[in-house]
This record gives sequence, structure tokens and C-alpha cells, in this order.
Amino acid sequence: MDGRLRWVLLAYRLPREPSTPRIGVWRQLRRLGVGQIADGVVALPLEARTREQFDWLAQDVIDHGGEATVWLAEPGSAADARALAGAMAASVALEYRRLIAEAAAQAGASEASHRRTVGRLRRELRRIGSRDYFPSEITRRAHAAVEALGQTIEEAAS
Amino acid sequence: MRWATRRGCHVDRASCAWLIRRFIDRDAEFVFVDDPDEVPPDATPFDMLGAALSHHEGGCSFETFLSRYRLADPALVQIGRIIHEADLADEQYDAPEAVGLDVLVRGLSMTLDDHAVLEVTGPLFDGLYAFKQRARMLGREPA
Repeated sequence: MDGRLRWVLLAYRLPREPSTPRIGVWRQLRRLGVGQIADGVVALPLEARTREQFDWLAQDVIDHGGEATVWLAEPGSAADARALAGAMAASVALEYRRLIAEAAAQAGASEASHRRTVGRLRRELRRIGSRDYFPSEITRRAHAAVEALGQTIEEAAS
Repeated sequence: MRWATRRGCHVDRASCAWLIRRFIDRDAEFVFVDDPDEVPPDATPFDMLGAALSHHEGGCSFETFLSRYRLADPALVQIGRIIHEADLADEQYDAPEAVGLDVLVRGLSMTLDDHAVLEVTGPLFDGLYAFKQRARMLGREPA
């Protein structure tokens, strides 16, 4: 990973109660695949879209009586940035591994179940891909696994 | 009237601009800024942090416009769901059009400046609106 990569940070604090907005924010952060820098400080690689997502999340937090600010940042040390990116990649890799295992478990299933699974796994792949900021070998393997599953359907149909 | 939004228009801002021109202010003039502080005093900001016409209650700016201006046309509500998913992708709605629309508008924002993006996407949203109205009439998507 490039140690000079710029980041966008969201610093936020939400009242402990009610819990619904807290859960909503937590869910959004999970969907975005943020890196956790400290309690209440999360990061994403800086891109037009990631910055915008943090702007909206900040607005959401403020609308619910919390405090939130968005910052553009450069890491003070390349090692810290690598560690952050590494943690983010590891969390995505876990999701990819689960997906690869599911694809493998489809061997020998009926064609109908096969079709449903391929559709679901493709959607899941897209979901994970949207928070995979540092694609690696496991990204390629997950795509290959789902692709291969799709191929077996085509072969069965022809 | 003058309207201001952030530079680098993607799908939410482009669709809001279309909505403004077509349903709210035919002679709308658009100004693009980098920071909320740069919004001219006579301009109404939208799809910007801190603006009333922006993301609220988990909805995108297009949806905020629909409720603020009481635009209840079902075809517009449908488009609102597509924009919501294109912009937020939080799977609140089933809008398979969203992924393609988002990619198309993001691509345009790479090759055109903001004024040109609005010029090009205007007819695109006109078409989407016509399609959704027709679908509404037929009770199904036009084949």
C-alpha cells in the first residue's frame, strides 16, 4: 500500500441513548468498511465518494444530537497507514473467505439451488467489493470462485 | 433564481438539478463551489453539508426536494428510490436501475465539467421520468 495515500476521517460522538441512531451509524460504518483509528474516529481512503459518504454520516450524527466533523488527513508515518489499511483488508478478506466457502459448499447441489446461490453470491461479491479499498489475491480468488460456479450452470444448460 | 451545490456533480446533484429545472424553477441558474462558505448570498444551497435541501433522515437530497416541494408524483417517488440507491446503496429499496445509472453519471463527471454534466443528464432524467410514468400507466414496465 502507498504510504502517502490521503485519507478522509470522521470524528463523531453520539449520545448513548436512544440506541437506534447509534445502531444506524454503526451499520453504515460497517457497510462502508471504515478503518478504526480510535474510539469515535474512523477513516477511509480519500476519494470523491468516500468523502461524501462521511459528510452525510456527519450530518446524520448531528441531526440526532451528536457531534461530528470530517477531516482530510495524511498519515504521520507510513507504518501506521499500512497497519490501518492492513486491518481493513483483513476484515474484507474474512468476508471473501466466507463467500469462497459458500461457493465451495455448492458442489453437487441441484441446478435450481445452484442458480439461486450464484445470484446471491454475485450480489454479495458486489457488496463486499464496494468496501474493498485494497484489492488483493483473495479478491481475485473470490471472483474466480463465483465465476466458476456461474460457469457450471452454463455448462449444465448447454 | 440561483442554486448552489458542490463541484463534481454525481447522480444525486445531477438529478436534483433536473428536478429543479423541470418542476421548481424553469430558469434556474447553477453555481458550483468547493466549500459551503463559498455559496453566494443570493443562491439556495442544495446537496451540501448543513443545507436544508440535502441528505436528511437517511434520505438523499432528491428525496428531500420531493418532500420539501410536495412533489408526490409516483413516477418521481420511484426515481427518488433509484437515486437513493445509486447514491447511498444502503439497500433500503429494490432499484436495479441504480447501479447502472450511478456508473453512467460518474463516468460523465470524469469527462465533462459540471455545467455539461447537467446538460447531458437532463434528457437522461426526462427519459427516465417518461419511462416510469408509462410503467405506471401500464401497471408494468414497458416491454
